[in-house]
Amino acid sequence: MDQRILEFIGDLRRAELRISPSEALDALAASAEVGLDDRDTFRTALASTLVKEARDRATFDRLFDLYFLDLQALGEGLRKALGPEDPRVQEQLDRLMADEDLQLDELTELLLRGQGAEMEMAIRSGGRQAGLERLMYFLQVGYFSRRISDRLDLSAIEADIERLLRMLEAQGLDPGQLARIRNYMELRLEAFRRMIRQHVERELERRAWRQGEKLQREALSDKPLFALTADEVGQMKTVVARLARRIKDALALRQRQEQRGRLDTRRTIRKSLQYDGIPMEVFLRRRHRDKPKLITVCDVSDSVRNASRFMLQLVWSLQECFSRVRSFVFVSEIAEVTQAFNTYPVERAIEWALKAAPVDYHCRSDFGYAFSQFVRNELDTLDRRTTILMLGDARNNYNDPQAWALRMMRERVKGIIWLNPEGQWGWGVGDSVMPMYAPACDLVKECRTIGQLGEVVDNLVHHWWRRGR
Amino acid sequence: MFASVEDVQQRFRAARYIASRRISTVVYLAARMGRPVLIEGPAGVGKTELAKTLADITSRALIRLQCYEGLDEGKALYEWKYAKQLLYTQLLRERIGELIADAPSLPEAVARIAGQEDAFFSHRFLSPRPLLQAIEADTPVVLLVDEIDKAEPEFEAFLLEVLSDFQVSVPELGTIRARHIPLVVLTSNNARELSDGLKRRCLHLFIDFPAPAEELQIIRLKVPEIPEQLARAVVAAVQKIRAMDLRKPPSVSESLDWARSLVILNAQTLDAALVESTLTMLVKYEKDLERVRGALDKVLAD
Repeated sequence: MDQRILEFIGDLRRAELRISPSEALDALAASAEVGLDDRDTFRTALASTLVKEARDRATFDRLFDLYFLDLQALGEGLRKALGPEDPRVQEQLDRLMADEDLQLDELTELLLRGQGAEMEMAIRSGGRQAGLERLMYFLQVGYFSRRISDRLDLSAIEADIERLLRMLEAQGLDPGQLARIRNYMELRLEAFRRMIRQHVERELERRAWRQGEKLQREALSDKPLFALTADEVGQMKTVVARLARRIKDALALRQRQEQRGRLDTRRTIRKSLQYDGIPMEVFLRRRHRDKPKLITVCDVSDSVRNASRFMLQLVWSLQECFSRVRSFVFVSEIAEVTQAFNTYPVERAIEWALKAAPVDYHCRSDFGYAFSQFVRNELDTLDRRTTILMLGDARNNYNDPQAWALRMMRERVKGIIWLNPEGQWGWGVGDSVMPMYAPACDLVKECRTIGQLGEVVDNLVHHWWRRGR
Repeated sequence: MFASVEDVQQRFRAARYIASRRISTVVYLAARMGRPVLIEGPAGVGKTELAKTLADITSRALIRLQCYEGLDEGKALYEWKYAKQLLYTQLLRERIGELIADAPSLPEAVARIAGQEDAFFSHRFLSPRPLLQAIEADTPVVLLVDEIDKAEPEFEAFLLEVLSDFQVSVPELGTIRARHIPLVVLTSNNARELSDGLKRRCLHLFIDFPAPAEELQIIRLKVPEIPEQLARAVVAAVQKIRAMDLRKPPSVSESLDWARSLVILNAQTLDAALVESTLTMLVKYEKDLERVRGALDKVLAD
């Protein structure tokens, strides 16, 4: 059994669950403690030792079902397939065979009398002989099912059964009964064939599990944001949510600061009282790190619609993570949407920001006007703790870029980070005014794909806020 | 400690805690393998209660370490009472003087004082905090490390060290090894991701909101005077409210509170007016309240 559990762990690892050797050992120990009698207990024993993230639980459960067959359910299924006749005919058959002292092939015997579990074991070993580990595509299912049937020599079994029936006929069994027995055997044979096919299908699913999903996710994270279909946008949502979560994790707790800096005289003297006034322990003043304040400014014009969707998703998630986030959207007018983003669930907030925020959606984007308006209204609220996150392509439709506004903002805040959903090759070409804005920004990043967005987020977490700026 | 998984389940049941098969299995394994259990799950599903009940049914003392931001070794493990030590030395100055008064040489005097070292570096000057208490205890205990996610990652690393060997070294005294391996329960509300090391070390148990049948059992057990029909209605309504996208879905403890208040109000069945007026027992945020109020007919529909 240990071998089987280790194989299962191998599968889990292939499905991207991180399982350390010590956890694998724990799983073996735990399964030895509870035994295999109760499938659910066994499942819990493995889960509690192997699955340490709630989100991996679904994968675990699915693979567990594929790997450790529910034999009870299998038996049920077999019984159902054989119909209510099963026990009676079976009994009759047993009696006849005992009377005649028939010598049957082992497999035929299994087929005629076996329980679900035994049959499954036979199929499994047949599968090993048939080289089932080479199974890769759905199209191969039929081929491998046939191969296993060949291994198990089903045709010979059919011949055996035929022989058995002829013998019974010769004994003068009445035709009605004979027909019943024949019918029953065919049912059993059919059920066996189906079990083989199901076995192969399960095997395929086990192999392909998550691999497809992983490929898809990788492909998605390299696809430019503007080219995503509606479906893909939906799928990416979880990815963005995870990014926001990462930011939150990194910042949720104020890291313990290194003891560095100037002497904290008050604490040192207070502590020295314990030691007769001798400063045994010296305390240094900790550098205080401010909680980050964040202002996001997002372009929601038509040209960057898909990209805005993600950015807004990120904005929404950020707002959920931090208490001090203010969010703005603009086309040419700029408007604050913090309130709405706090109130609405994410879907609705994004739709609202893209269609119904108090800005004019019918004009063309004008970064310069938006910035100058921002400076006029909000400049006083900026301070050295604030980071501004700009999300937009800086395509200004040949309007006045008014870069002075951005420079004025920069003078007030800790920094400006600009994420541009357009490739770097396009900056400065045509109506793009990115080069004029870039000098006022501390960090300008191309952010065309979700993969790049991930990098930017990591970068922010590890360098921007960590540095204690 | 436990004979079987069923035994765990029954004893929890007897202590008025409904432990699902999954919970019982993990507790059983933890007891058998001497491993800490890390319990995760939404607030108010009975994580802390589980540890308390566990202490109860195994008749062990419960030692609780509540984590918070800024928790450090001094508060979790032990503190050395320098002041007391200093005071003793001061008070005993004369005795010490006597002791070395007739020493012929300085080395001899030092040796004499060294001979008395045990008196100055003893348990007397050590004030044990929860972790050390759990390790030093004469009888086996249950150690509850509550809300580990609130503590800093550094503390987690330190805790990991304690939990893997069940021994700590106190520089003044040397290494203290646990007399009995305590049953350790850690709880987390998932305010942040815990480190891989800690997760590796622990058995993992995720407790989610209970299924309707389980919740009904819990309500019957904890609020025995509730009419059967009302209990069913309460469970159905709570489950529906939980399915709504709320900022804080009602926890088990809140649905118990609600059930209790309905009993006090002498209700037999649920109706819109009654739910409306008692809803604050269940839903604690203004925005959530609005949403639930808006969907009251759905909540009450069968």
